[in-house]
Amino acid sequence: MSEMWINMGPQHPMTHGLWNLRVRIDGEMILDVDPEMGYLHRGIEKISEDRHYNEVITLMDRCCYVAGLSWEHLYILAAEEALHIEPPERAKYLRMMCDEFQRIGSHIMWYSAFVQDIGLMTPFLYGMRDRDLILDLFQSYTGARMTYEYMRVGGVRNDLPLGFTDQARKVLDWLIDRFREYDQLCLGSTIFHRRCDQLGVLKANDCITHGVTGPMLRSAGVKRDLRKDRPYAAYDQVDFDVAVADGADVTARYLVRMEEMRQSVRIVRQTLDWLDRHPGPVIAENLPRWLGAPYAPIGDEGYLLKRRYPKGVGFSSVEEPHGEAQAYVVNEGGEHPYRVKFRSPVFANISAARQYLVGYHVADIPPIMGSVDICVGEVDR
Amino acid sequence: MSTVTLYSVSSDIATAVLNAVGSVLPAPYRADVTAPTTETGLAVLIFTVILLAASMINTIMLIWWERKLLGRFMDRRGAMHVGYAGLLQNFADGFKLFRKHTFRPREADSVGFFFGPTAYMISSLIIFGILPISSGWSMGLLPLSLLLALVIFSFAPLFIFVSAWSSNNKYSLMGGMRSAAQMIAYEVPLLLAVVAVVIVSGSFNLTTIVAEQQNYWFWGPLFVALIVFVAAMLAEMERIPFDLPEAEAELVEGWNTEYGGMLFAFFMFADYLRGLVGSILVVLLFLGGWTLPTWVPSPLTAFPLAGIFWFMVKTYLVFGLFVWIRASLPRVRTDQLLRLGWNRMIPLALLSVFLAAALVTVRCVPVFGCVPSPGV
Repeated sequence: MSEMWINMGPQHPMTHGLWNLRVRIDGEMILDVDPEMGYLHRGIEKISEDRHYNEVITLMDRCCYVAGLSWEHLYILAAEEALHIEPPERAKYLRMMCDEFQRIGSHIMWYSAFVQDIGLMTPFLYGMRDRDLILDLFQSYTGARMTYEYMRVGGVRNDLPLGFTDQARKVLDWLIDRFREYDQLCLGSTIFHRRCDQLGVLKANDCITHGVTGPMLRSAGVKRDLRKDRPYAAYDQVDFDVAVADGADVTARYLVRMEEMRQSVRIVRQTLDWLDRHPGPVIAENLPRWLGAPYAPIGDEGYLLKRRYPKGVGFSSVEEPHGEAQAYVVNEGGEHPYRVKFRSPVFANISAARQYLVGYHVADIPPIMGSVDICVGEVDR
Repeated sequence: MSTVTLYSVSSDIATAVLNAVGSVLPAPYRADVTAPTTETGLAVLIFTVILLAASMINTIMLIWWERKLLGRFMDRRGAMHVGYAGLLQNFADGFKLFRKHTFRPREADSVGFFFGPTAYMISSLIIFGILPISSGWSMGLLPLSLLLALVIFSFAPLFIFVSAWSSNNKYSLMGGMRSAAQMIAYEVPLLLAVVAVVIVSGSFNLTTIVAEQQNYWFWGPLFVALIVFVAAMLAEMERIPFDLPEAEAELVEGWNTEYGGMLFAFFMFADYLRGLVGSILVVLLFLGGWTLPTWVPSPLTAFPLAGIFWFMVKTYLVFGLFVWIRASLPRVRTDQLLRLGWNRMIPLALLSVFLAAALVTVRCVPVFGCVPSPGV
């Protein structure tokens, strides 16, 4: 066979979303790749300019369909900084709990998709089974399983239901056991190591050059985690380790993500203990109506209707399950954000595809791209 | 009791039918209808139809068995809703595919596109005419039935490659290339493992090979050959971990990407036919076929059609092993697969041939007993 280009996408089992990987192959060898994105562009940043601050949250859930709460958190942090609003302490802990549950859910989703890519079917269903428990928890306090719309500028929408923390602890105990099972199914298999070791190597220097972040960066041995380096919410109050691995290959990314799930369980346990001990308000007081405070006092109608916040800009960066996401919100004093801009970690991770794909086999594309953990919703926005 | 064979059954049916027809017809035609040649012809026809129906129904049941077993491995129930425990689900699926429009991509080669799946299916079905299912329940005593079965079994890469190439799709072509390379690479260890069995049993006739296993089944002394045979069979059947010709993660659906409707059903069906053939061959060559060890109490072996019953039980258990492997292993890569085939499987197969030769020379193995004198 002579050299040829093949399109892996936009409809292809490998893509896990709507994008196209053009691959130039010679037989089974990859000579060149060219990722094409933009099939899922919805103009979320532009739409945000016509919406009230809290209405943008709906769009954030559509950014990443497996990590909606993380993206809500990202936007909320930037918006609060732009509006000079300080959330209550309990809201911070609730957001941190959301983030970490979301991280576990997202990583389990990644695990399911990734093992499917190397031909394992059983762990895929195990992963989906266990992720359902987390979705059940989300449903119990946000009312939704996928598009949560839970966070608000100035806090969160509602407090936890009765008995939630006990239920959550049970789920965590179950999950910790299952992680061991996941490892047995993957790391215990010789074929898994044959398929994944020394594959898709992206060294630390290349990671930094191409702006690759998240588990991919940490798998190259760089100890970089925004939760430690630039703590937001209440991450400086909890005790956890940053998951790092050497090797920079697919196996290392697997190890990093598995360890991150274990660390997330640790964080959530501490958060649940704190939440049990510290009842209190979950949303800031005296928010105006246009910020949608559901139980804002109706005494001073004029004040609450007309209240404006001074101009300002807000920047936030969050360690999202896929990497470092950043948001920039400009407040020109109105009810709508003047400009919203996001930085998607997966966009950078995919853009470096040529660095970690060329020279391997066609059959290596699914495991390598699977180890990147792609979520096209946030790539295109 | 012991003389009931598939042919005697179909011959009885043919006689009954012809007598019934003959009694209705006017006298001049009666003699023609009940003539022995007519009877034989109809008996062969009924024989073939029974065999075809049996192989088809068994294949569909095999798909059900795989779906249920795989479901249990994955912590779910598998097909549940059509028929009792989903028994009729595959018939419903097949009917759906049957009703669908069969189309061909504009640029695809019209001859190869339709010839490939049809020939693949037919060649897989032919093997069932050769395999004995129980003593007397086979087409005839072909002296080289094992060799013939393997020859027909190895037609498949040609048909797969024809259909892949004529699809005019890059993924199909890559899948076809992989499939051809893989099947040719694993044909060699498969045949060498069979040679080990042939050395010990002294015959290419499957019925004789089963009869030779009266003292002990061959899986024990020929364990290396069994391992090689099962692994090579997995590659020939294109099942996980060797399913890379249709690796859906990178090749969409491999060589049958462009096929839909009934042509796709042909491929699926033929795949499972080959799965059934593979399991049957394992049972025939290594697990004593339709026989049971002598220490098994007679009520378990003496009931009518016991041979077929135990044969089917063994076949489904062997296929269950294939399903288990599918549920727990990832897929290997093309170069790894070929390296495994040429560098590991062939030496192992040669070792098994050597062991078989040693076994025949030594004649008696402590635990298992003695080899019958070869060539009897």
